[in-house]
Formats: sequence, C-alpha cells, structure tokens
Amino acid sequence: MSVQSKAAEQFARQLLKLSVVDGSVSPSQVAGVLEYVEAHKPANAVMVLNAYKRLVSAELSRSAAIIEHAGPISDAIQKSIAATLTAKFKRTITTTVKSNPDLLAGIRVRLGDDIFESSLSSQLTSLAENV
Amino acid sequence: MSTVLEQIEQQIAKLSAKAVRKNTGTIRTLADGVAKIDGLSDVMYNEMVQFPGGAIGIALNLEENEVGCVILGDVSQLKEGDEVKTTGKLLSVPVGKALLGRAVDALGQPIDGKGPIDAKETYPVEKIAPGIIERKSVTQPLLTGIMAIDSMIPIGRGQRELIIGDRGTGKTTIAVDTIINQAKINKVGLASGDPKFRPVYSIYVAIGQKNSNIVRTIAALENAGALEYTIIVAAPAADNAANQYIAPYSGASMGEWFMENNMDSLIVYDDLSKHAVAYRQISLILKRPSGREAYPGDVFYLHSRLLERSARLDGKGSLTALPIIETLAGDVSAYIPTNVISITDGQIFLETDLFNQGIRPAVSVGLSVSRVGSAAQLKATKQVAGKLKGELAQFRELAAFSQFGSDLDAKTKSQLDRGARVVELFKQPAFDPISIELQVVTLWAMQKGYYENLTISKVMSAAASLRTFMTTRHDTLLTKIRTKAAVDAEIEAELKTACDSWQSTFSA
Ligand SMILES: Nc1ncnc2c1ncn2[C@@H]1O[C@H](COP(=O)(O)OP(=O)(O)OP(=O)(O)O)[C@@H](O)[C@H]1O
Ligand SMILES: [Mg+2]
Repeated sequence: MSVQSKAAEQFARQLLKLSVVDGSVSPSQVAGVLEYVEAHKPANAVMVLNAYKRLVSAELSRSAAIIEHAGPISDAIQKSIAATLTAKFKRTITTTVKSNPDLLAGIRVRLGDDIFESSLSSQLTSLAENV
Repeated sequence: MSTVLEQIEQQIAKLSAKAVRKNTGTIRTLADGVAKIDGLSDVMYNEMVQFPGGAIGIALNLEENEVGCVILGDVSQLKEGDEVKTTGKLLSVPVGKALLGRAVDALGQPIDGKGPIDAKETYPVEKIAPGIIERKSVTQPLLTGIMAIDSMIPIGRGQRELIIGDRGTGKTTIAVDTIINQAKINKVGLASGDPKFRPVYSIYVAIGQKNSNIVRTIAALENAGALEYTIIVAAPAADNAANQYIAPYSGASMGEWFMENNMDSLIVYDDLSKHAVAYRQISLILKRPSGREAYPGDVFYLHSRLLERSARLDGKGSLTALPIIETLAGDVSAYIPTNVISITDGQIFLETDLFNQGIRPAVSVGLSVSRVGSAAQLKATKQVAGKLKGELAQFRELAAFSQFGSDLDAKTKSQLDRGARVVELFKQPAFDPISIELQVVTLWAMQKGYYENLTISKVMSAAASLRTFMTTRHDTLLTKIRTKAAVDAEIEAELKTACDSWQSTFSA
C-alpha cells in the first residue's frame, strides 16, 4: 500500500466516524461530509471518496441483513430474525428477503461479512465433507 | 417414558438444525500465490480459510482493513471478487504409521499414486515446541552408519545436527545414508524380538528441490529397502512458495506423532536455505518489512520454532532433526547459515576441496562438532575411536605444513603416515552405511595396527575385506559386540584371533 493510499484510507476512516450516529449511518451526516469534501478538495479526493464508499457500504451492510430463503418465509419469521439480530449485535438491523432456490430448503442470513446458515444444501455439503 | 425420549429428540433436532455461522470475505487482489482479502473480520492468525474450488489458504497478515493469505494449491481458478470463508480450524495434516512408505505433499495428501492414506489422526502443522520440563537430555545414540560421523561427531536421539556445505558435496547422501541405516537397524532389531528395542522412523522433507532429485532419493531408499520406514514430504521447486514454506512444519508434525506416542523418529529437512528463500518470497509479496539479504525480520524464528520441536521427551519418544543448509563458496557466516548454526546442537561441515580430492564423505573434522552427542556415544565406539578426532585434526595441520619442507623427522613422518591411513579408512561409498559392530571392528583393527604394513591406497579395500570376512565367518562375535556395546577383555581376545586369521588370508 502506497503512502498516499494509506493517508487516503485514514482520512476516509475519519469521515466515516463523522457519518455514523448512534451506531448507524446517517444520511444527513453523509451529505454533510460530501459537501465538505466538495468544498475543500482534499489531496487525492478520488482515492478518499472510493475508500469512503467502501467503508460506508461495509458499515451499511453491517446493519442490513439479507435473508436468502428457499421455500416460503412468513412475515413473522422475518420479524423474529430482525429482532434476534438486533438484540445480538445491539444495533438496529433491518432485513430484506431474497429467494435462493440453491439452498434447497431453509434460510441463509448474510450480515456484514458473517453468514448464518441453516439450509439443506449446507448440511449436505458438510455431510459430504465429513463422510 | 416416551415423552422423555421425545424431549431428547427435540433437543437433538434443535442442535442439528442450529444455524452455522461462517465469516466471509472477498478477494481484493491476487498475486503470486498470495491473496489480499476484504472482510474476514473474525479470522484468526494462521487459521485455514476456504477458497472456492477447494483451495485453502492460511491467514498470515491480519491488518486493519484487509487480510493477507497464502494459498496452498491451485490458484489458477481463483479470481478477484471470489468469496472466501473462514473454517475455524488451524491447518492440520494426517499423522501416523499409515503414512510410512508413502510420498505426500505439504498437506499430507498422497502424490505417489498408491491410493488414499488411511490416517486415523491429524495434528496441527504449527505446534508450540515442548517446554523445559517435558524434556530429557540426550543419552541414546542415533547411528548414521557413516564411520566418520559415528566415531567423531556422534549424534544422539533428540539432537539437532546441521549438515552444511556447498552444493554437490554429498549433503543429501549423508542424510539418506542415515535413513537407510535406521531401516537396517530396525530390521535387525525387530527380528531379534528384543522388547527393549526402539525402532527409528524417518521423515524426509524435500523443499524446493528438482523433481528428478526427489525421485532419485526415493529410488535410493526403495533399493535399500528403507522406504517402508520412511515418510517422504515433498514440496518440489515447481510447487508454490506457500507449500514450500509449510512442508517442514507438516513433516515435523508427523514426526511429533511418533515422539508423542513413545516412538523414536528422525527428520531430515533438505534444505532450509530454500525454505528461507520461499519464506522471503512470501514475506516480500505480503509487503512485510525486509532486513538483511532481504529476509524478513522473523526469519530466525522461522527456523528456531521448527528446530525446537525436535526433542527427547521424558517418558515418551524423541524426534531427531538433520537440517541441511547449502552454503556459497564455503561461507558459513552468511545470514541463514549463522542463524541455523546457532540454533542447532552442532554441525557436520562438508568441504568441496575434500570432496574433489576423493575424500568422501567430505566431512571436515576440524569444523564439525556435536555438542551433545558424546553423551550418547556407545562405549565400544569411544574405546576404539576416542582420540581419532584430535589426531585427524592434527594430521590435517601437519599435512598442510609438510608441503613446504621435505626434511621431516621420523616422528612427524609416522604421524603423517598414520593420519593418511585414518583418512583412507573413513572413505565410504554412498548409500552403504556400516553397522556399528563392523565400525568397531574396523577401528579396533586400526588401533591395533593391522593396516600398518599396507600401502596407503590398499587400506580402504583391506577394511572392506575385513568387514566381509567378519560378517561371513564371525557373526556371533558381531552380535556379541552389538549387544554388549563395549569391548571387554573377552571380546578383545576373540577380535584378535579373528583379525589374525583375516590378516593371513588377506595378505596371502
Ligand atoms: N560418499 C560418497 N562417495 C561417492 N560419491 C558420493 C558420496 N557422497 C556423495 N556422492 C556423490 O556426489 C554427488 C552429490 O551428492 P549429493 O546429491 O548428496 O550432494 P548435495 O550436497 O546434496 O548436492 P545438492 O547441493 O545438489 O543438493 C552425487 O552424485 C553422489 O552420488
Ligand atoms: Mg542435496
């Protein structure tokens, strides 16, 4: 990593800190940050903004869970997953659902870089690995 | 009753349906067998990570916003953006007796086409070396079958003895001879049914060598019937640097299994210079700061933690290590050689000059030492070879001097003559280890002056003829020497009669 990109990364981190309020990304703060960057044109602005974008998207994905499912999934289940995750990670976590027939049956919840999986396909894979 | 069972079943169902948590990341960059990965926020140092397509990696650099992984196996299928998963496991290799007679890669997977290996256990590749309390000092010999080494630079079980020399000076040959000798001793010992006999199992780790060389070594072991007591771990030059980096640790784990299970084992690392180079490559690609000769700062730790795993454990077995280092133009003060010399318990130094003069094995007596082995040397060898090392070193000095003057007094002349005979006696062809009882006989005959009246060039063949004579006619005497492991008055008398009768046949 070059010296420039390291500095950009550090700056982007500071910007991210300013953008997070109460553990979640605040749109108004992000707008403020962008305004500031626009006005002050820091060195390597493109690099900084790219790093910032990556950090914000990682931060967003940490509080937006994607529930992949095969077979029907009720509203109640979706709500209970959101509630469980919110309680576990102590921040508000929203959920979106996405159908994924590859799972065969069951669900897979993706939150940030964690995956929680209880599906037939994963059990079959682990079975195949352990036989 | 049935409700109880139902409850248990429910509990089982709950457990088996429990969601599995996996931490993931995506490949950001991929170069030279090293991947930089985004995410993997939960990965542990040295944890195995799963790449798509079955390749596995080891997390070596944990940074604030990326993880550096070396990839073991095929990288050609991987691309930027691929998803990577943590496994929660440390890299492990299969261990146990099922591996004997097999050739495996750095991960313990068979590469010899003899089918799958039925190993019951696995050991983590990286293990903390045994502590002070568990260890015991070295007291049992590990016989190499090479006379110059067993008599002057003895090695004990649990010792780490470095074999160092320029390229093509016979380093590999010494290690392979030692493995062959262990197999020979194992066969005799196991056949004798002695309950106290402890066989030695060998592991040969080939790092960064040409495949043709590895094949030659395996063939030599097979011809000598030693392969059945040996595990070959191969990370040839064509393998990526990560495999070459892991291979010695994998081999050490296999050896530790023998040690932990109350058996003795021997491991050869051929060679650690190439291992250091592979590690330097990985470190440079991972952008770790480099130091002297561009090696990273922890290159000392690289070898010290490996060699410290060799030990003799109290109440258990032992793991003896023969690391090999290649020098350039005999320079032992280069970075890697000095490091490894300082970690080991002595070194066998091989000299190009000696090798080219036909003195093979080209062991330099003056520069070779064994710091702990003499405690393990058999009494019989001590009796017949006690003073040889000093004598030989003195001879080399005198010989160098005598080149300048022709007028030598009688004492110097006789010293030179005797020295030349000893040098001749220690010449030994490759892949032909000599059993310790025959070594004792050979050296005893030297001590008693049986080679005195021969022309110097005849000494080697005379000694060989004496050995054949003893094996064919005096097998019981040899067994006696082996079991007593000392030369007492009775054995001495028998040796005298045997050698006398040999002398009459030989000179006749
Ligand atoms: N005691 C010996 N008597 C005769 N020839 C020998 C002896 N030891 C080794 N040689 C021969 O010398 C050559 C080099 O030996 P070897 O491969 O063991 O050396 P090396 O130091 O391991 O070489 P490299 O640096 O290539 O690994 C081989 O052809 C081998 O047969
Ligand atoms: Mg070699």
